[in-house]
Amino acid sequence: MTVFDIAIVGGGPAGLAAAERTLAAGLSTCVIDEQQRPGGQILRQPPAGFSVPGWLSGAPYRKGRALLDKVSDDAKLNWLGGHSVLGITPDPAGEAGFTLALSGTMGGVSEVQAKRVLVAGGCYDMPVALPGWTLPGVMSAGAVQTMVKAQQVLPGQRVVLFGTHPLMIVLAQQIIEAGGQVEAVCFAQSFAQMAKAALAHLPRAITMPAPLIAAAGGMAVLRRAGVQVRYGAPVLRSEGEGLGGVEQVVIAGPKGEEAIACDLAAMCYGFLPQADLVRQVGAGVRWSNPAGGWEAVHDDAMRSTVPGLYVAGETTGVAGSDAAMAEGAIAGLAIAQDAGVLTARDASAAMRGPRSARKAMQGFIDLLRAVGDPRPWLPAASAETLLCRCEDIPAGAVDKAIADALAVGPSFGASAIKLRCRAGMGLCQGRSCEHAVIRRIAAARSCAEEEVDGFRPRFPARSLAIADLLDDAG
Amino acid sequence: MKRIEQGVTRPAQIAVEIDGARVMVHPGETVAVAVLASASQRFRDDRSGAARGMFCNMGTCSECTVWAAVGTSPWRRLRGCLVPVEPSLRISTRDPESRP
Amino acid sequence: MMTSLNSRGETSNFDILIVGGGLVGCASAWHLARLGLKVLVAERGHLNSGASGQNAGSLHFQIERRFLEQGEKAAADGARIVTLNRLAIEEWRGIEHMLGRPLDVAMHGGLMVAETEEQMALLAFKVARENELGLSTQVLDSAQLRERAPSLSPHLAGAAWLADEGHANPRILVDAFAEGAVEQGAQIRTGTALTGLSMARDGTYRAVLSGPDGELRVNTPRVLLASGHWTARLAGLLGLNVPLYAAPLMMSVTDRTEPVLPYLVQHVGARLSMKQTEDGNLLIGGGWPSRLVRRADGTPDLDRPATVEMKNLRANLAVAARVLPGLAQRSLLRTWTGTTCISADQLPIVGEIPAAPGLFVAAGGSLFTLGPVLARLLARTIAEGSPPEELSMFLPRRFAHLDAFAVLP
Repeated sequence: MTVFDIAIVGGGPAGLAAAERTLAAGLSTCVIDEQQRPGGQILRQPPAGFSVPGWLSGAPYRKGRALLDKVSDDAKLNWLGGHSVLGITPDPAGEAGFTLALSGTMGGVSEVQAKRVLVAGGCYDMPVALPGWTLPGVMSAGAVQTMVKAQQVLPGQRVVLFGTHPLMIVLAQQIIEAGGQVEAVCFAQSFAQMAKAALAHLPRAITMPAPLIAAAGGMAVLRRAGVQVRYGAPVLRSEGEGLGGVEQVVIAGPKGEEAIACDLAAMCYGFLPQADLVRQVGAGVRWSNPAGGWEAVHDDAMRSTVPGLYVAGETTGVAGSDAAMAEGAIAGLAIAQDAGVLTARDASAAMRGPRSARKAMQGFIDLLRAVGDPRPWLPAASAETLLCRCEDIPAGAVDKAIADALAVGPSFGASAIKLRCRAGMGLCQGRSCEHAVIRRIAAARSCAEEEVDGFRPRFPARSLAIADLLDDAG
Repeated sequence: MKRIEQGVTRPAQIAVEIDGARVMVHPGETVAVAVLASASQRFRDDRSGAARGMFCNMGTCSECTVWAAVGTSPWRRLRGCLVPVEPSLRISTRDPESRP
Repeated sequence: MMTSLNSRGETSNFDILIVGGGLVGCASAWHLARLGLKVLVAERGHLNSGASGQNAGSLHFQIERRFLEQGEKAAADGARIVTLNRLAIEEWRGIEHMLGRPLDVAMHGGLMVAETEEQMALLAFKVARENELGLSTQVLDSAQLRERAPSLSPHLAGAAWLADEGHANPRILVDAFAEGAVEQGAQIRTGTALTGLSMARDGTYRAVLSGPDGELRVNTPRVLLASGHWTARLAGLLGLNVPLYAAPLMMSVTDRTEPVLPYLVQHVGARLSMKQTEDGNLLIGGGWPSRLVRRADGTPDLDRPATVEMKNLRANLAVAARVLPGLAQRSLLRTWTGTTCISADQLPIVGEIPAAPGLFVAAGGSLFTLGPVLARLLARTIAEGSPPEELSMFLPRRFAHLDAFAVLP
């Protein structure tokens, strides 16, 4: 079996930026991604057979697209699209430092060996349990955006966007440009609160004018299209009858409850790092603020706490694609250095650029985090609201399990609650409900989320057909 | 669901089967899009019998999981948002096997 | 409950310190608290976080395959365990009533299947032994098996059937015992490790517990080590030898499906246990090893979860799919590892250590099926001062020779 110098999990901006550097350093490099084509979620490409000349032509995507084109065209890149990583097993004693078990998204199980591994798994929309959120037609903002960007479809005709994250402005603009109708954009927080948070960070953020200008441009598009952007309009629940899915969302307006009709409601409260593989290997993580989830910890060259395992991009904390590219470049250089093909001095010199770029972004990242902080605005689940979508476990059952566990003693984590009530036991392996279970445990134990152990990450990281494991079992 | 027409050229349509009905899709579209194209947001029923739709479209939440088979191959469960359609694809939103 | 401390920061409040918040520890705490003893349970992680919560929940009472494949002597030992199994059957039949809550106990019967005529002969031998010992197993031929379990493969040669077998839910059983014990006045401290243990001149024990609130020193006349594979290491704090060895295993679970398998299924010639949970998931195990993580110096690191061994996972699923062909259509949700332990003679070690009066151990495999009844017998031993006859073959005295050179006050 080939042993790659480096296996990169995730073909988004961080993974591609790392691959650019490891390929340049002459390391054999494979990039594994669940999508068929490189780009990650932010640059998710239309299918190869489609022609979309105007695809992501805006200024914010320019740098990422240049990187995507360059790395995709590199004949030395081993691209393993359409593959999920089931597990990463370190073998510090062996020639290959790591074995990665993969399953094809369309079937088949295989293994890849590599001396080093970079996890650049990106992030995903925080799923927020509010009454009615399991109705068909209630989706994450990222779902709608990737449908528009990559599949070139609008999953609904009349769209309401709700939450706290400014990405809603960009998404509303993309929906309008794609010919859809945005009924309303509902920010839970007031404009004054957003402005206050923004002003506090503006002096440092102003060094990154491009995203601010883009945001202003997005607002102008919405104004021209007559879209109502509402502030201080928290969504309480979504409603619908029969098989048709969502029919309206109900917000707490200034004069009481108010219904807005729609056939697609997209939530946007922020993003959680994808760090389950990092956790499976046993590398260090910490609670990620403000949206939650676990972000991988690392040194100043993106090395995780496990020798040979590197991390970059949103896996280390959600900071946007420019930050991911800078971190990916640093990780790629560190990998080349640790592999002995780049001297410490050359690596350090080459890291200077991406390091200072990454540092300059922090003001804007902090501004975004402050403006979009979902924590004060997370809608309340009712006792019947399903917290665990896979196993249909309502919030009330999770709360009862927490109360029962608390009666025995205060030292318990999310796994204990999973064992008691099955939340997190389904197909998604707990990705959807873990953060919510942890928040509820932390509230019940009067402690910080950081102090609550998450679900113990299990093999396989993605469920797979048993037939695939039988095929060549002999 | 509505396909964006302006500025997009797609390959010619092929037929797939969803819960026994013929649905026209473009090669490259995902199984999830095929389900949405069948004019239904329903991907499965939950344990209470309520219809459920897709949620994240990036392989994380598994809410778009359906059963799929190509021609006469055995059924397998897969995440519809990750898998492109192909000729002779059959999709079922219910467990096609009465026994496991 | 407040713990009163003397001027040296020690407590003498407890009649017994139980180390381990798994099934045996919590069930023993429940029984002992009901018998009026003041009980302190120390669990270094979370309750039920070891093998008690990670095993597959089988209630198996037929003589196990591992005894049959180790020759006549082991088969004889396996046969002796049948007496205890009969008590365990009664225990499980009454456990939900005893604890006053549903525990997903399903005793609809169990099958030990055979694929070959050779294996059928082994089953016949086994059933004859079991019947002599009063266990009412019976041999089913291929046709009878198909009638009883139509979802299983038509290629199976037959099975041994025992109506009392089944499964229960390991996720909730320990909590039920723990909550009951706390109601009865027991104190449970989680996140609390035993870091020191010595015997004083008067024969009582000095234990040091390290927990979230710092150190607690406990003076107590009795200690029960119910700590799974860590039991040997903890007994080592006193210089004692308890011959228990870590056995890292793995279990797998599929997605939910409609009810197809009301029985526990084992295999007489291969490692397999398979059952369907109340929720519809198929649970698959049977003693396939996982891999212990090794430290840099090559020694096994028992404090880290064992890792999945892909080759064994495939082999386990292959056996399972041969027995239940429809399994191939299901999805694998999770494979998890858990580390149980095995004693030098494969039988659990339960009771007082002869060299250290007042020190009790209870560990050694099969302790989900046997845990509740062993905890009951152990509690009687502790409360009455001598073991009941049913416990005789499990007593640590059979390994007393290993402590011939122990130095205690």
